[in-house]
Amino acid sequence: MESLKLPATGRTPEVDFDFAQGVLRLSGESYPDDVATFFGPIFAALRGFLAEPGGHPVRFDMELLYFNSSSAKALMNIFQMLETAARDGRSISVTWCYEENDESMQELGEDFAEDLHHVAFTLKQIPADGAS
Amino acid sequence: MTFNLFAAEEQAIEQARLLGERLGAAAPDLRAEFDALVEAFQRSTREQRRLVRVSDRLQAQLGSANQELERRRQEAESALADLREAQEAMVRAEKLASLGALVAGVAHEINTPVGIAVSCASHLSDATARLRGRAQSGELSKADFSRYLTTATDTTALILTNCERAAKLIASFKQVAVDRASAERRAVHLNRYIQETLVSLEPKLRQSRHGITVSCPDGLVVDSYPGALSQILTNFVMNSVTHAFVDAQGAEGQGGALTVTVDEPEPGTVRLVYTDNGRGIPPDHLPRIFDPFFTTRRGEGGSGLGLHIVHNLAVGALKGTISVDSAPGQGTRFVLTFPKDTPPEDGAA
Repeated sequence: MESLKLPATGRTPEVDFDFAQGVLRLSGESYPDDVATFFGPIFAALRGFLAEPGGHPVRFDMELLYFNSSSAKALMNIFQMLETAARDGRSISVTWCYEENDESMQELGEDFAEDLHHVAFTLKQIPADGAS
Repeated sequence: MTFNLFAAEEQAIEQARLLGERLGAAAPDLRAEFDALVEAFQRSTREQRRLVRVSDRLQAQLGSANQELERRRQEAESALADLREAQEAMVRAEKLASLGALVAGVAHEINTPVGIAVSCASHLSDATARLRGRAQSGELSKADFSRYLTTATDTTALILTNCERAAKLIASFKQVAVDRASAERRAVHLNRYIQETLVSLEPKLRQSRHGITVSCPDGLVVDSYPGALSQILTNFVMNSVTHAFVDAQGAEGQGGALTVTVDEPEPGTVRLVYTDNGRGIPPDHLPRIFDPFFTTRRGEGGSGLGLHIVHNLAVGALKGTISVDSAPGQGTRFVLTFPKDTPPEDGAA
């Protein structure tokens, strides 16, 4: 399946979904003007990828520094898709990165983790100023 | 397929409705309670949608407020930079204008000896013509010749001294003007330099019959920026002439006493104390006299930059300090302290 790569804009994060390797990554800030325009294609691609037979392992790196409420809801939906796939036996790991001293982003990660039972969820502190 | 953030919730509600119908058939007594639960979940989902919308809107407002704030901050910063630039331009213009005043003062000063020399030369020329006439007509007497010799001796002596005086004035002025315009560092004999600077101020002082006394150790040589020193001294004197002796009607007064006293309070440090015995500076003006554009003569051509320039030069070029001490009726006293050898610029090679 084709990779999905979108460069970051001022309002949307960089998307780097390498489906062949099973390594997916979102990084940057997310407060799109139109949540459907930005997340629509991401959901479609992810749904298609998870529906493919084979079921090799998936690694999802979330490196978001800031997002708005509809992005938060979209993330929750992504996590639910991953959780469903993991419950069906796929090996899925999520790494939630937050900058040091960004307690609210750390707490949000912990909050999301509560809904995930089959996905292997890891919190990871990264240095501030976006260097990763 | 249209994207819907709440697709999962809507699907759950739809499933619950179908389940409700089956439940209505299987256990009708539970139907109402079940529908109430579904209704509560629907309300909660609607509430979630509203919260997401409200929160996104707040975030967007915050974002645009921040952008607006940043834009205004940049505007304010660029306005401040423009203002600083304009201020610097005015300071430069003011320095040039004072150079012009210096030229006018010296021109006036040179006018006197040159005028005397010209009239002496003219007198000598007339006497020579008369002598030649008498000699050609064979009427030259011994007494005529003797009178001519006296005239020639007197006038040539006067021409010589006055031309020497003019040459001296030009030489000293030339150095002061070059220093003032070039702002170059060099070693100067301080006492002599002060005297040379005061030459250009002589006409002003004489016109108002102010007297100035200079007391400076004769061997004192400073390695500094003489142009800055000259400018500072000129601004002190002009300030006194303009403000210190003005009477109640605003007319410039006469007969003030100005002093310039230089000493070395400690080795390597020069202290120049300038005083006038004028009417002093009102206490509410005193803290502001070094501020740019502070003037009591706004409508009369005062730029309010004179003492600001003094402060700039004292702290900047001379790397020294300046203070003022004045009270109404008690005269004014400026104390300028600066290193005898100006230390090099920080970081300069």
